[in-house]
Amino acid sequence: MSLLLLKSATIVDAASKHHLKKRDILIENGVIRKIGASIKNEKAKTVTLENLHVSQGWFDSSVSFGEPGLEERETISNGLRTAAHSGFTAVAVNPNTNPVNDSKAGVQFLMAKGEGNPVNLYPVGALTVRSEGVDLAELYDMHSEGAIAFGDYKHPVENANLLKIALQYAQNFGGLVQSMPMEPSVARKGVVNEHVNSTLLGLKGIPSLAEELQITRDLYLLEYTGGKLHIPTVSTRAGVKLVREAKKKGLDVTCSVSVSNLVLTDDRLEDFDTNYKLLPPLRTESDRKALLKGLKDGTIDGVTSDHNPIDIENKKTEFDHAMFGSIGLESCFGALNSEIGTEASVAALVALKDRFGIDSNLIEEGSTAELTLFNPDHDYVFSEENILSASKNSAFLGVRMKGKAYGIYSNKKLVLNS
Amino acid sequence: MSELSVNHLLGIKYISEADIHLIFETADHFKEVINRPIKKVPSLRDITIANLFFENSTRTRLSFELAEKRLSADVINFSAASSSVKKGETLIDTVNNILSMKVDMVVMRHPNPGAGVFLSKHINASIVNAGDGAHEHPTQALLDCYSIRERLKDVAGKKVVIVGDILHSRVALSNIFALQKLGAEVKVCGPKTLIPKYIERIGVSYEKNLRSALEWCDVANMLRVQNERMDISYFPSTREYTQQYGVNKALLDSLGKEIVVMHPGPINRGVEITSDVADSKQAIILEQVQNGVAIRMAVLYLLASKIQHNEN
Repeated sequence: MSLLLLKSATIVDAASKHHLKKRDILIENGVIRKIGASIKNEKAKTVTLENLHVSQGWFDSSVSFGEPGLEERETISNGLRTAAHSGFTAVAVNPNTNPVNDSKAGVQFLMAKGEGNPVNLYPVGALTVRSEGVDLAELYDMHSEGAIAFGDYKHPVENANLLKIALQYAQNFGGLVQSMPMEPSVARKGVVNEHVNSTLLGLKGIPSLAEELQITRDLYLLEYTGGKLHIPTVSTRAGVKLVREAKKKGLDVTCSVSVSNLVLTDDRLEDFDTNYKLLPPLRTESDRKALLKGLKDGTIDGVTSDHNPIDIENKKTEFDHAMFGSIGLESCFGALNSEIGTEASVAALVALKDRFGIDSNLIEEGSTAELTLFNPDHDYVFSEENILSASKNSAFLGVRMKGKAYGIYSNKKLVLNS
Repeated sequence: MSELSVNHLLGIKYISEADIHLIFETADHFKEVINRPIKKVPSLRDITIANLFFENSTRTRLSFELAEKRLSADVINFSAASSSVKKGETLIDTVNNILSMKVDMVVMRHPNPGAGVFLSKHINASIVNAGDGAHEHPTQALLDCYSIRERLKDVAGKKVVIVGDILHSRVALSNIFALQKLGAEVKVCGPKTLIPKYIERIGVSYEKNLRSALEWCDVANMLRVQNERMDISYFPSTREYTQQYGVNKALLDSLGKEIVVMHPGPINRGVEITSDVADSKQAIILEQVQNGVAIRMAVLYLLASKIQHNEN
């Protein structure tokens, strides 16, 4: 029997009666046994941390771990370790592996790799075979093995009819379909946001029009088919507006925003630094403000780090040749907390659980203990020493931020940063 | 001031107005030198320069090579289509291999925007950007402005229109930056498909009609239609392009004033400009070429003197 006592923890859980109260929390065998102003238990292992805050475990709806096939970028075990140390108790792992996770076997592999880990690993299955956008993958089979959603990661579904069929087909088992909001014939070979900075740098631009067109199309399809659509990483003012209107109409649509798009803009590109080569690209300040507003008013359902480790060979190169993506787990909370404050950050990091069919565990006596431990006032400049990922491609290097995770308690295990 | 504010020439964006004037004054001197019977000076006798051309070029490479030789530098040339480099070695490795043979300066043309900026952060040599994708081609802009200065006495206050494919053009971008720094007013003109959507946000106005643009300007810089740079079709045919954006003698004569016609070369005769325009006295195309050598000598000389200065 294991007993753990968290001392003087400020509970951040809007749904709990202990919200914003400083409490001691006694955990016994993975269950919250008691919450009180002062608990004494000599048998319990006691955890006392400066300015300790506790919330429901955070969930990231878009992370990439490279395994299988791209282990030089990241392995599942180190990826999950990074997630735990960054405060995440659950991650949805994208299918952008080699081979692409488009089958039952792929899902089983990931589930087996995540077995017994403090962090819950949830596979996202590819929507189409090899994410090539031609034939539907075996969605039901993957769903039965534990895939929580389906999407081709950054590959837009070009064929409108294919997305229509996917949305219809997945309804039989309540499957959640994701569609990258980027119309490829307009985005073409763009590498950054099309705006003043792309003009000044001579880099090919991805117009926000590409996002607007694809979201418009997808929402029309959703209206026709019914079903559940999740739009990952909205990045433009126009995109937010479209989703807002669709929600008013009553469509079953959700969307996320990447913390990069919420905090950074394409002004960062000045030096051709490939760490800022992201998809969707960093947009303008006007887009960023619209994203913040969308998150605040509930148009945007949650925030993802869109964690994507890329090995140095694919980043330390000419801008056009570099791969898109940034790691994000480690900097996610600090960047977000600095931008929107603690309560909103916590809300944004747990909100998508329900949409992805993951249980939320309230911070109440009798609940399963799935907790994130953090200090919202830890002030630091994010630097390479804060990176736990195998790849170091962070868009947040050098960014001053406030807020850092201590770790998690999940699956009866306590993981703390040393 | 007798020193550049930078250690590399990566783009006009990165240098000051004073730098440009210093380069011009230095070029004045070298222009006099290259018109002497003995065209060579020993200024860069102990400097080795590598010309790295990852993209095809004839005139820019020749112009640089000539400038280097007239300054008595040791010169090595490396040409590789980007595809063969992509097969294996990275850009940094390629360049470091060459630098390990004790090279002081690199003149580089590369198909990717920002390649020079990227390289400058990772290698130890002075870099001159000889064109990086659709980003910058600073020596071309310098020689263009130098040629305007030579013909019209000054660049400040002049009205310059750049005509053609602005979207894919490093020449246009560098010219815009240089002309603005020197106080000229800039318009771009061409089919809207070849104009960056946000061009007006960088202080440049757009005129869709060629005649109106020419009536407005003192100088027209006619860019080459770069079919090789376009991966899709931006206009239906060259014929149609010429009908709308080609300059012929009749058009030029009907303006009621004498404008200066420039072209960075190579000319597609009968496309951007007709032969009678190219060969007219209003065109300063060959002066541009000649000034190119003087400008490149000036740039190399000024950057090399910084290397020597840093070493001392």
